[in-house]
Amino acid sequence: MSEAELELFLQASVRLGAPLALAALGEAVTERAGVINIGLEGAIIAGALGGALGALAFESGGAGVLAGALAGGIVALVFAAFAVGLGTDQIITGTAVTLGGLGLTGAVYQARFGATGTALTLPTLAPVRLPLLADIPLIGDALFAQAPTTYLAYALAPALWYFFFRTEWGLELRAVGEQPDAAAAAGVRVRRVRLLATLLGGTLAGVAGAHLALAHAGTFAENMSAGRGFIAIAVVALGRWNPPWVLLAALFFGAASALQYLLQALGLDLPYQLFLAIPYLLTLAALAGWLGRARAPAALATPWPPPR
Amino acid sequence: MIAVRARLDGVVRRFGSVEALAGASLEVRAGEVHALLGENGAGKSTLLSILGGMLRPDAGTIEVGGRQVALASPRVAWALGIGLVHQHFTLVPPLTVLENLALGRRLQPARLGRTLTRLRAEAERLVQRTGLDVRLDARVEQLAVGERQRVEILKVLLRDPSVLVLDEPTASLAPAEVASLFELLRGLAAEGRAIVLVAHKIDEVLAVADRVTILRAGRTTFSDVRSKVDAASLVRAMVGESVTDVAAAVGVVVVASGSARAAAVGVGVGASVTVDDAARRRPGGLVATLADVRMHASVGRPALEGVTLEVRRGEIVGIAGVQGNGQRELARVLSGRSLPDSGSVQLPAGVGFIPQDRTLEGLIGDFDLAENVALALHADPRFTGPAALRWDAVRAEAERVRTRFSIVASGTKAPAYALSGGNRQRLVIGRELLVASDLLVAEDPTRGLDVAATAFVHDQLRRATETSEGPGVVLISGDLDEVLALSDRLLVVSRGRLTPVPENARTREGVGALMLGDSSAAA
Repeated sequence: MSEAELELFLQASVRLGAPLALAALGEAVTERAGVINIGLEGAIIAGALGGALGALAFESGGAGVLAGALAGGIVALVFAAFAVGLGTDQIITGTAVTLGGLGLTGAVYQARFGATGTALTLPTLAPVRLPLLADIPLIGDALFAQAPTTYLAYALAPALWYFFFRTEWGLELRAVGEQPDAAAAAGVRVRRVRLLATLLGGTLAGVAGAHLALAHAGTFAENMSAGRGFIAIAVVALGRWNPPWVLLAALFFGAASALQYLLQALGLDLPYQLFLAIPYLLTLAALAGWLGRARAPAALATPWPPPR
Repeated sequence: MIAVRARLDGVVRRFGSVEALAGASLEVRAGEVHALLGENGAGKSTLLSILGGMLRPDAGTIEVGGRQVALASPRVAWALGIGLVHQHFTLVPPLTVLENLALGRRLQPARLGRTLTRLRAEAERLVQRTGLDVRLDARVEQLAVGERQRVEILKVLLRDPSVLVLDEPTASLAPAEVASLFELLRGLAAEGRAIVLVAHKIDEVLAVADRVTILRAGRTTFSDVRSKVDAASLVRAMVGESVTDVAAAVGVVVVASGSARAAAVGVGVGASVTVDDAARRRPGGLVATLADVRMHASVGRPALEGVTLEVRRGEIVGIAGVQGNGQRELARVLSGRSLPDSGSVQLPAGVGFIPQDRTLEGLIGDFDLAENVALALHADPRFTGPAALRWDAVRAEAERVRTRFSIVASGTKAPAYALSGGNRQRLVIGRELLVASDLLVAEDPTRGLDVAATAFVHDQLRRATETSEGPGVVLISGDLDEVLALSDRLLVVSRGRLTPVPENARTREGVGALMLGDSSAAA
């Protein structure tokens, strides 16, 4: 394998990992508050369509990202209205939101652009080369000549870590995810914390969707989220609900998908789908506790206040 | 005139069609320990939740510090100086003690480190002053029950409440721990705080309270100073009718433990049973044997180690211990619910198990009475057809259980969640006695039950072991009076090891010391 091939592989890893990282970091916040948002996929696809429409309307990739964030946030608000506000079952609600999101975005897309089959061309989110950093050999281009949304993911990982473990707000968030009764008794507003955490998660999933449309594909296509919402939930578990590890886990999942390019470049005749399975096997290993003590927030997926 | 810190008047609170409080009143003054007593379902917990801002009343007035207030949320209650120590622990297990103390404080929201430093200093001063011994940097999940209790109290005291409310704080403490808690409460009252203590043991109330208020069926039926009450008058005010009349009608069980609790008169159903310590029954054949059993715990040291135990027919083997010393695991091994890591276990075929938590483990709330009974009978050929359960037979059996154990329910189709605590336990016991032809394992069977329900349970355990043909009963309990009164043989479980109690140590003090034993030395 030549150095050029390796660089290409690393570049693809980061490119494929970045949207996962954005969505997973947001979901980590949501899950730390005890809410599992299976509707993440719906928020990503809404973010992709919102990003496309916003970018077209304002002829700017940046505006597209904001529109995508808003769309993702709205989807999360719908989820939270039921799952947090009314205490409905989070898994069923999230599934409904995902299916609804996929269907609705498809309908809006067809109504707006017709089903002509010609690909939509969008103002893209251009890569920004960070001076000096991008000149590091081998990894410089891969890590530091990316779309701005990728840098958002880099910045969020330490910022969220600080928030979780070094602020009182983070303490309250974690308490809400572990033992909401205890948090409430201490005066924490459990449902408000859960609502805000879910909205933040949806907003970041929207950014991830916009990134897919604007930085990745340069177009919108129905179902283009392609299961990334569910993968992001696996990424959170592999990253053990700890933001820096979540970022690394996302890049690792990205690398597994990038293997297909590498294998093609190397001319190896191996079914790349086999390699796609590796991160999932690792996620199972992480959940089983084989990669060290890892425990989901104790109140994950538990409605509060408890029914009856 | 002593300042009234808080006054609740004519408080009404409904849950659906049920009136949990129907005009309850409570007046607490600075410098007093005020005991709140009442049977289960009398509305004590609801009243406390209202005082703590967790529930809003449907009617009635609340005054704090002389001003009428609306306790709209726990935050408001905190701000008014009301601190509530909950019956169920409200600590976050994976967080450290110090982090738990910081939860919800918002001293420096963006700088948790500074908040923790400040609270550490405050907490250390408070620990010095009160003698509440806690390890600030331990994670709560590593702590024993008694220490968690101290953390709860410390957490509330750090907010410097003028009214300190404790909901059944002694339920899971050893006698020595109860004594030091009461000493602390007296000291806190002497500082001018008002202390409200919910309790269910009358002797404890008499030992510590300055004033007693009694709730019955959602109403305040009694409130007076300690010097004017005795155990008999308290029981009368709680139960409602004149106890002597009730006793004459249905027979009385007096718990003959020799302690003040002997005054707690319970009402047994059916013929009267008198307890005579001298009349020890002769046990029958061996039904269960544990030999050198070892069992791991989820964290830390083994839950059980070197446990050897023989149980014979017709005897009650009492096992006393402070929660968290291996009794859960022991109950599960004895009832065949868990396999030990090592050692041998020989169990008979007909094993009944009364788990500690009847709501979570004993019954399924959404199932009706018959379905709950079926849970134990599903392997019995009398109730199984070729494919399906024989529901008519199950339902008939459930009806027999209902009438025999006087379960107050609309019928066998009533869901278990609609039953009161005492009736739930009657259902569990009735069901388990159906299958316990050889062995009955009872884990804290009277926890949270009122006087009458407790007497009923004790009566049933005694009757089951009346003859040497009856099952062997293993009674695992943290209630010393209970094990002392019922057991033919008594052992103590401490840090996963079983120790027989010698005959001359069969007293509250003797067994209490064994229960604490080395666990106090390790702390």
